[in-house]
Amino acid sequence: MNPDWYNEALPEQTRRNFLRALGASTAATFLAGAPRSMAAERKSIHPAATADSCILLWMAGGMAAPETFDPKAYLPYEVGTPVEKIISTFPAIDTAVDNIKICQGLENIAGVMDRATLIRSHFQQDLGSILHSRHQYHWHTGYVPPQTVAAPHIGAWMAKVLGGRNEVMPAFINIGQRLEGVGESEELKAFTTGGFFGSEFGPMNLPFPELASQAVKPPGGMSPDRFAKRYKALEGLLKNSPKSHELSDYHQESMLRSMDNAHRLLGSKEREAFDLSTEKKEVFDEYNTGKFGQGCLLARRLVENGARFVEVTTEYVPFLNWDTHENGHTTAENMKKEIDRPIARLIKDLEERGMLDRTLVIIASEFSRDMMIEGVPGSTAKDQSRAATDVLKEMKHYGLHRHFTGGSSVVMFGGGMKKGFLYGSTANERPCLAVENPVSIEDLHATIFTAMGISPKTEYDIESRPFYATKDGVGKAVQGVFA
Amino acid sequence: MRSTTVHTIAFLASLLPLGAALDFAHEVVPLLEKHCVECHGGDESKGGLSMNTRELVLEADVLEPGNPDISLMIEVLTAEDPDDRMPPPGKKKAPLSSAEIDVLRRWIAADLPWEEGFTFAKDRYEPPLKPRKVKLPAGPKGANPIDLIVAKHFKANDIKFQGAADDSTFLRRVSEDLIGLPPSPDLVAMISPGKPLDRAAVVDRLLADKQGYAEHWMTFWNDLLRNDYGGTGFITGGRQQVTSWLYPALVENKPFDQFVRDLVAPTKESRGFIDGITWRGEVNASQTTQIQFSQNVSQVFLGINMKCASCHDSFIDRWTLKEAYGLAAIYSETPLELERCDKPTGEMAVAAWLFPELGQVDAKKPRDERLKQLADLMTHPENGRMQRTIVNRLWAQLMGRGIVHPVDAMNTAPWNEDLLDFLANHLVESGYDVKAVLRLITTSRTYQSRADIREDENAPYVFQGPVRKRMTAEQFLDSIRSVTGVWAKADGAAFKDGGAGGQLNVVMKAHGLKKWDDRPIRTAFGKRDSLQAALGRPNRDQVVTSRPDSVTTLEAINLSNGPELAGLIRDGAVKIGTAGDPKDLIPKVFRASVSREPTTEEMAISLSMIGEKPSTEDIEDFLWSVFMLPEFHYIN
Repeated sequence: MNPDWYNEALPEQTRRNFLRALGASTAATFLAGAPRSMAAERKSIHPAATADSCILLWMAGGMAAPETFDPKAYLPYEVGTPVEKIISTFPAIDTAVDNIKICQGLENIAGVMDRATLIRSHFQQDLGSILHSRHQYHWHTGYVPPQTVAAPHIGAWMAKVLGGRNEVMPAFINIGQRLEGVGESEELKAFTTGGFFGSEFGPMNLPFPELASQAVKPPGGMSPDRFAKRYKALEGLLKNSPKSHELSDYHQESMLRSMDNAHRLLGSKEREAFDLSTEKKEVFDEYNTGKFGQGCLLARRLVENGARFVEVTTEYVPFLNWDTHENGHTTAENMKKEIDRPIARLIKDLEERGMLDRTLVIIASEFSRDMMIEGVPGSTAKDQSRAATDVLKEMKHYGLHRHFTGGSSVVMFGGGMKKGFLYGSTANERPCLAVENPVSIEDLHATIFTAMGISPKTEYDIESRPFYATKDGVGKAVQGVFA
Repeated sequence: MRSTTVHTIAFLASLLPLGAALDFAHEVVPLLEKHCVECHGGDESKGGLSMNTRELVLEADVLEPGNPDISLMIEVLTAEDPDDRMPPPGKKKAPLSSAEIDVLRRWIAADLPWEEGFTFAKDRYEPPLKPRKVKLPAGPKGANPIDLIVAKHFKANDIKFQGAADDSTFLRRVSEDLIGLPPSPDLVAMISPGKPLDRAAVVDRLLADKQGYAEHWMTFWNDLLRNDYGGTGFITGGRQQVTSWLYPALVENKPFDQFVRDLVAPTKESRGFIDGITWRGEVNASQTTQIQFSQNVSQVFLGINMKCASCHDSFIDRWTLKEAYGLAAIYSETPLELERCDKPTGEMAVAAWLFPELGQVDAKKPRDERLKQLADLMTHPENGRMQRTIVNRLWAQLMGRGIVHPVDAMNTAPWNEDLLDFLANHLVESGYDVKAVLRLITTSRTYQSRADIREDENAPYVFQGPVRKRMTAEQFLDSIRSVTGVWAKADGAAFKDGGAGGQLNVVMKAHGLKKWDDRPIRTAFGKRDSLQAALGRPNRDQVVTSRPDSVTTLEAINLSNGPELAGLIRDGAVKIGTAGDPKDLIPKVFRASVSREPTTEEMAISLSMIGEKPSTEDIEDFLWSVFMLPEFHYIN
């Protein structure tokens, strides 16, 4: 489809501002106009940003660190091996950095590790029982559910505090997660939200990257001409409404302002960024390992066109993808095939475009996995392995099938982070707890927020109470990872 | 000369010993009161500094605890140049004396000792708990008491009455407010030219529509009681609906005291509210089911924010951790230990309610007894707080803004005490008849006047008339469906019994229906889809008492090209059909949507849009344009 359909269909003079067309407003009201929010910011002193945009590559379901970025002693599959001996099911490989080894299957990412800071000592709170969506809620908002108010997603914090990078592109875009028809969908929706900031700061959800362009196109089957005609008719009705004398009311103005913003995006050149079919075929093919790979490409295009925060997920579906309750080795092998090429290409593309230095790309997951331990040693979390056995009998037993919150890996590229840098470590023997420089969710968020120029202590009043960007405002940025 | 002296003194002061004992209440407080809190305390926080609490002082980063020498506060208090010095020249206050500076230095050096619970924050509004008789201003016989009180308020504030809204505006407003739908053709037929509309008769007809009323007010009560037919918590059986109790209660207009009793000391069907959500795994101390009980019961029925106090003594009002836990202990089956900010204190909670002047629950009785006692206290005739809280919510629903605003902060002064108390008394005197309160409000000239068009949303609020309300997601979609005549289809789960779902089964039982047939299914009885979410229907993890009042950009995108709305409009256009004469169709859509005739210009624009022989697409486009008018989105 011709990406310029909209501009062609709608001559400049009709793409006027609804408000201006009415002649009923003051100049101030149609200048971008901050939307109202139930929350008021208290004064915060923000740090200088080292990144303008953030891409979160979300390994949904619990990516096992010992199978990816934190290789441990490797034992190949062999019937009869006691499972308590197994820590890693993949051998280590070299990377572009001498002292960093990662796991087999991530050869492309290994090639760009010289652009990365690898944190191996991230850990999560033991919540007593494992429900992925609760841990994901915790990771994405910094707060353990339930909360007395709806906690905003970290992307919503960026949208709220920093706003969009231009006037058309939504600040917070969420790619790859279906919110209907998948398990725990209500729980996923609970954190995929602007929270108490309101839906203005919530995500634009694009569950299928290949269909993303539909989100900024006329409804299915509608021609551009017809879509433009609708707007024109609406404008005509507004201009001639006998009620227009009542339009100074801010409610109505805010509605028209939002219609204007939508109209502007739907008619902008940035809209083309949503359409993967306009990407060069060889580039598309290299990214296209599946939905996640396409999501990485979409994220690059959106950030190039002004998105502030983009999350791309491998998608959380109970017992699928990184959620390996059985057959962990084979599943991890497949997942790595899905993520390895597109992530490496994304980093190189951003670098080629001179954007990597100001774009923080993060690979993270709600927790790690272990062959034996649920939660952390001593946790009351019940065993959820579907391939429980003492010794390996068949291939489905081989892999890390339990949820481990005591130590996981986070990779951060660009955005002011050190390059080719290793931070923290986990124990080499089970339990593989974060033993050196442990990084909590609060501190990791503080690091991300600080890079984005947001004070971890940023606070908003909601229901007369302060609510902070990191829980209780206590998150401290890990200074050691900043270049 | 003077500035030199100050500088010298400051220098000398820094040599004085810092260890001398310090009396916060008698040394520091008077000094801060004298020099600082006029601008940095109470409701003021100039330059981002509020000295109301120790925490706030620390957060402002104006001093370094333990180290007065590098504290900005001391630096600016002792600055040589009067322009740089605090208090600022404009205040015409003398600079602090060296003795005073010394006190502050010692205070900083000693790590800011503070009296527990002390705050410079202003005392919050707290009227006597008991209901108060209101002496009505004089006025014509038979006048609505609301109008008498408002007339006095207008006179005192030099406000001119807006004038009555025209009949069609009134009709749409009152129909949307009471039953959540645009006026039916029957109601519209009550308007006859040259004859004033009998507005009281309209109100009575709407209130007599038991099903319409109950279906509409489900949205309000579902939000308040955190009730939904699916959502978080159901997955692990940690949550129950109250639908099978709530819907019949609304149909029969259950007296509000009984309504509250049913919720506080519940039956099997109504217990979902106080039981809250049991989450799988561990939750922080302020989210246990007991504390949820404490928070939700006090918020919904008393307009008290117990969320602060359930973690530590509140900074914003008078409620304490002990009181939050006392309320929680009424519900708790097991001994409950107070936790301050998630840390056990060793102190055990004693079941107690918040206003002992009305009586107290007996902590030694079993739980069900305690809950009954709490229900009695909550609905005690002298518990004015409960009465004021509900009538204020009802007023806000109808008038767009509470007499107390926000509606959950009943410790805020109302803009008119007489009005609030009169409505509260009316509720009690009518036998806790919620519909009687709604009737009193909607039959007032005040309600029936033209909407208040506020130019400046940030200006201090003075009541000038009803505030325009944005339709809820449910109202918006039901209004579209009532224009097009195409109603939602329900999934089978809505008709089954128990668990998640089952909501339409409840409606059928309440009205003695054997089969649903083609009856309209109101949006409030469907699950929240992405369009409704975008339009502000909350997921009901928490109690929600107000909906967003403005349309956001993402919503606007959704309204412009989202598949749900597009599908709804397409179905509507198909149903309307292309056979009719556009000259009839256009006025019909205007009447059904915005309760008025199109103007000549609107007629011409609409005609040019759809032509003489419209296609289904043309009709879709026309419908969309009308549905996107702010006049349609808002209840004017």
